[in-house]
Amino acid sequence: MHLLPSGKTRDNLWTLITPPTVWAWHFLLSYITAAYACAPNDAIFEAIPGPRLLVAVLTVVALAIIAWCGVRAWREWQSEYVAPPFNEASPAHRERFLEFSTLLLAGLSFVGVVFVAMPALFVVDCR
Amino acid sequence: MNGAAGAWPVDYQKAANADWPIAPSDPRQEDPEYRKVQEERLERVWATPKGWRYWSDVNNTTIGVWYTAASFGFMLFAGVLGLMIRAQLAVPDNDFLSATFYNQVYTLHGTVMMFLFAVPIFEAVAIILLPQMLGARDLPFPRLSAFGFWCFIIGGVFVAGSIFFDSAPTGGWFMYPPLTTQERFTPGYGPDVWLLGLSFIEVASIAAAVELIVGTLKCRPPGMRINLMPLYAWYVLVVATMILFAFPPLIAGDILFELERLFGWPFFDPERGGDPVLWQHLFWIFGHPEVYIVFLPAIALIAMIVPTFARRPILGYSWIVLAAVGTGFLSFGLWAHHMYTTGLPAMSLGFFSAASEAVAIPTGVQIFVFLATLLTGRVTYQVPMLFVLGSLGVFVFGGITGVMVAIAPFDWQAHDSYFVVAHLHYVLVGGMVFPLVAGVYYFWPVVGQKRLSDKLGRIAFWLMFVGFNLAFAPMHWSGLMGMPRRVWTYPAGLGLEWPNLISSGGGFVFAAGFLVVVFDVLRPKGHVPVAERNTWNAGTLEWLAETEDKNWGVRSIPIVTTRYPLWEQPRFMEDVDKGRFYLPDAEENLRETLVTSVLDAKPIQCLRVPGPSWMPFWAAVFLGAVFILAVFHLWMATIVAMGLALVAIIVWLWRGTSFVPEKKEKDVGRGLSLPLYMSGPQSVSWWAMFITMTGDATAFLSLVFGYYFFFTIHQDFPPPGMENAPGQLWPMLSLALFASAWGLAVAANRLNRAGRVPLARLAMGGGGVLSLLAAAALLWAPYATGLDPVVHVYPAIVWTLAIWTAVHAAVGTIMLFYCLARSLAGKLTPEYDIDICNVALYWHFMGGTALVTIGTISLFPLVA
Amino acid sequence: MRSVGAGEGRRAHRCEGAFARGVPILAFLAFAGCVRGPQSTFAGAGTEASSVEGLFWWMLWGGVAIWIVVLGVGVYASRPRPAAHDEIVGKRMILWGGVVFPTVTLAILLGFGLALMPPFRGPAEGQAIAVSGERFWWRVAYDVEPGQTGVARGLPPGGIESANEIVLPLGVRTEILLGSPDVIHSFWVPAIAGKVDAIPGRVNRIVLEPTKTGVFNGVCAEFCGDAHAQMAFRVVVVTPEEYAAEVARQASPAVLTGTRGEELFLANGCGACHSVRGTEAQGRVGPDLTHVGSRRTIAAGILDNTPENIAQFVRATGHVKQGVEMPAYPMLDDDELTAIADWLGALQ
Repeated sequence: MHLLPSGKTRDNLWTLITPPTVWAWHFLLSYITAAYACAPNDAIFEAIPGPRLLVAVLTVVALAIIAWCGVRAWREWQSEYVAPPFNEASPAHRERFLEFSTLLLAGLSFVGVVFVAMPALFVVDCR
Repeated sequence: MNGAAGAWPVDYQKAANADWPIAPSDPRQEDPEYRKVQEERLERVWATPKGWRYWSDVNNTTIGVWYTAASFGFMLFAGVLGLMIRAQLAVPDNDFLSATFYNQVYTLHGTVMMFLFAVPIFEAVAIILLPQMLGARDLPFPRLSAFGFWCFIIGGVFVAGSIFFDSAPTGGWFMYPPLTTQERFTPGYGPDVWLLGLSFIEVASIAAAVELIVGTLKCRPPGMRINLMPLYAWYVLVVATMILFAFPPLIAGDILFELERLFGWPFFDPERGGDPVLWQHLFWIFGHPEVYIVFLPAIALIAMIVPTFARRPILGYSWIVLAAVGTGFLSFGLWAHHMYTTGLPAMSLGFFSAASEAVAIPTGVQIFVFLATLLTGRVTYQVPMLFVLGSLGVFVFGGITGVMVAIAPFDWQAHDSYFVVAHLHYVLVGGMVFPLVAGVYYFWPVVGQKRLSDKLGRIAFWLMFVGFNLAFAPMHWSGLMGMPRRVWTYPAGLGLEWPNLISSGGGFVFAAGFLVVVFDVLRPKGHVPVAERNTWNAGTLEWLAETEDKNWGVRSIPIVTTRYPLWEQPRFMEDVDKGRFYLPDAEENLRETLVTSVLDAKPIQCLRVPGPSWMPFWAAVFLGAVFILAVFHLWMATIVAMGLALVAIIVWLWRGTSFVPEKKEKDVGRGLSLPLYMSGPQSVSWWAMFITMTGDATAFLSLVFGYYFFFTIHQDFPPPGMENAPGQLWPMLSLALFASAWGLAVAANRLNRAGRVPLARLAMGGGGVLSLLAAAALLWAPYATGLDPVVHVYPAIVWTLAIWTAVHAAVGTIMLFYCLARSLAGKLTPEYDIDICNVALYWHFMGGTALVTIGTISLFPLVA
Repeated sequence: MRSVGAGEGRRAHRCEGAFARGVPILAFLAFAGCVRGPQSTFAGAGTEASSVEGLFWWMLWGGVAIWIVVLGVGVYASRPRPAAHDEIVGKRMILWGGVVFPTVTLAILLGFGLALMPPFRGPAEGQAIAVSGERFWWRVAYDVEPGQTGVARGLPPGGIESANEIVLPLGVRTEILLGSPDVIHSFWVPAIAGKVDAIPGRVNRIVLEPTKTGVFNGVCAEFCGDAHAQMAFRVVVVTPEEYAAEVARQASPAVLTGTRGEELFLANGCGACHSVRGTEAQGRVGPDLTHVGSRRTIAAGILDNTPENIAQFVRATGHVKQGVEMPAYPMLDDDELTAIADWLGALQ
């Protein structure tokens, strides 16, 4: 991440995709946790509190990072507020566009992480 | 909006907030005689070759048209297969087709529709439209596009043609082992035709993806910052990136699959430790993103059509970006929803169920953005809009059934029944075919200079819409009545007669509708008046296309300061046509386009793009021969073809890439002088290498996933008796050699740039030799420890990782020797060093590959 | 569909013949009557099928409502209008229609679906039934130890063998263990529950809890080769007492009639593939025929079990069932075939 003298981020395509990337890691690690805990699928009625807790921890961490990305984008967008649709040919509009889009993606990723965490809440074992 | 507001001539320095100097345009451009000379030169430089040399053309317009026509041709072929399916299933206990032939027909229907139509048509349309939308003269690697096209057509004809020799694959487009891996279940060449033919096409898809990503990021017109990109370009960027991560797992799967079929390595054979479910993972990690790879580009067409007919800019530009990027990510978390019935733990199913539901959110956002844009616009109703609405009706219903089948308990009933057949056709026809036909009616004037018929369009629409729903709505019903998929016949008396008969009738009506479209496109249009320029009054750059087709793309490469320049930039078309922007001429008689920076599209280079050449064609022919000869186990011929392909590629690179220009910089107009040669992260080829290697690394990681997958399903992995293989000694030696080769490759780049050419040459040669030694040591390790890949999956996967790495090392050697030769030939100098820059980048990936391979096969068994 | 399905469905269970009459109204009624047919997911003959059916109707009507609203907005929005709507209307539509509503609805639906899974896959009662999907029929073994699922293993050996017909006790959660020695198949009895794959090298499980007595159809739902379409079976749901009696009967050796049919059966080598317990026929390749006469169908659920059908099938297996692995016996004359068929039919 590239910081400007003002302490703000210079957004780019990488900052844009950070929230969904966090979603992807959360998804992958949750899947690996469950797959590894349950392989090779015998003892299917044995509860697996450890892996479920791990998914919960992963979820909290992922939500925190996504929320931080979202809050950062929100603050920077608000502090030099431009209303959408950010359609002018200027660095300011480009920056606001990236911030706003990051905010939207953070929202979607947040919901996505919550969704993906739900199975660990509902299912207690490897059945 | 039209005849936009604002003063003219525009002060572009101010309008673009440019951080590079923009002078007023050259007054000489106002002189028609002066322009005429330029135009003649441009025309000559960009001319399409005549006669048989026509097929050596590489220009994006030509290649794009070939590609599109070929894809549609395959689509019609697969459509006929679809009708054969419906004819067979029209009545119970029918014997119109035999079971074996039916299986060939349905397998090819799915395979051709997905691999030879749905994905290639995206690449084809993007190759035509993207440069036009970005005001570029061509894509950055025209010969790569041509190569991709030739791979596609050779592989496609091979796969599709097999049915005429009664040897088409019969295992379904999903090719599940062990049905397809074992000779006793599927004798003959069918699965090999499928695997090798399609692997070859996947190479073409990845080539196109590289091209399109670089094109979108680096070849935008000056001033078109990332927030001004046409939405189509956003979608292309997302979809091409998805291809880069989705196709390699399938290539990895294909490698394992062919190793099992050709040499008996037991990856999917449970008797020897393999597991057929691994294939399903690899196939669907490709297969589900693929659905979105098909769907998003078609939605991208809608995102261009809707604003034009709503006569306003899109409402919710950022929301579309959110939806496209979000879908791109979420679509990689859905794969196991094709595997709900394989007995995976409920928790695992739950993760995929959750992601499958979540992906409906961005999809819904896109639809509401379109609805909102229409609602807040002043709509004019034309044929393309009719298809857009039809698409909405069909797709939304498919989306709703998609939300249903994403719920695992419901899917346990619906899975592999006709309900899913109905669902997937609603999604794909509604989400892809209808938008595509809308796109054909909308964009035809860009390619064909004339509008298609309104009347025929309406007839086609209603036939297609009614026929489609008649054909596929009853399938929801027959599925829930207990009709499984992929059955060549079904018994009477279960209530399946009427739904199937209606489906078959509807299928033919749908086909008739599509034929009307085909007729409309192909019919002679001598009497049809040429459409006026920008016939729908759209706002984006592709509508700069002139009524007389010009190969040069745009007369001059514009400065873009708005999302809809034709609406919002005053007298924009006139400025472009009079050459008042960049590159209005081709003084050196060379094809040129601009390279700009990623975020702000600041012009950074004047890129010379190559012209017609036969080398892409020959490279594709020889590479195709490698795949086709391997199908028939003609090993000597395969090796010869491999050598020829290598030679063709090297000749192509040697003669056609990284020319040392005659001068450092060139005046591109409006007081701007740009370098003609750039290397490192600024150059398009560095990006192409980076992107290609990302895809390559994905395939490699899929193989590594295979290793750990086998680890999790076995109690003992490595199995008893193989604990000490491949050992540590030789792998560690190999690792040390790889590290040295890596270091030398990087050093060669630094030394060359620092002007210490002899030392750099030494590093290139030394690195190449060490790399070969490293590969030899790596292969020696499993050999010396007696690992026989046929007896168990453990040695098989170890050998596979070792061979993968060794082959990459051999490529690394060839690259370093190539640089050495270029340096000796004076084509690689401290100043002009693209080759070694890119090779150093390759070596970073190579080093990583060696590290992961050796860590996995040699060190992991110590801790496991 | 629902009202018709529910109303007419109770009247007619099966619907052969109506189609042949070709009268559209009658045919439509027959079509509706089939809603609860033996292969329908709407038959409501199992707890899982019934609760999934309930979920389906909720999702369907909800989905249809959403579809009508979205399409209605689409048609309205794309009509030419004198004046455009204010942008704020569009923005609100994106926010509420595109984001808030789907997120909430999908979260609820997801929770509901997740909550359904554990009970469906919950523990079963009594002994399990091992079912092996084989090209292109179903090997059945009653009375095997339950709960032996997992990767890199095969079905538990033993049990009381039968084929292509599974008897289940009413109201008991019975575990079916699924495996395969050849390719992937999928076990599906739509009237009772969803499907689970039978995968070589793995043992999967599904729990069936029938709530209606009767005969229901099962099919192979995963493509497995040429005869995939004709790899069916029957499920017969009886009371628990009848079930116990049936398993005991299956365990007993064949009641032999010592006729010419038996001699021909053995002389032609049928015993190399088939078992008839109590004779020298001890083959393990094809279906166990010890009690084949008592089954409702032959050739894996595709023909009624009559001597004529048996004779026809043995004469030209591949004609009746394309891709079948059993060779045809065209060299047998009609008398011989009839004798074999009669003998087999008598193996009650």
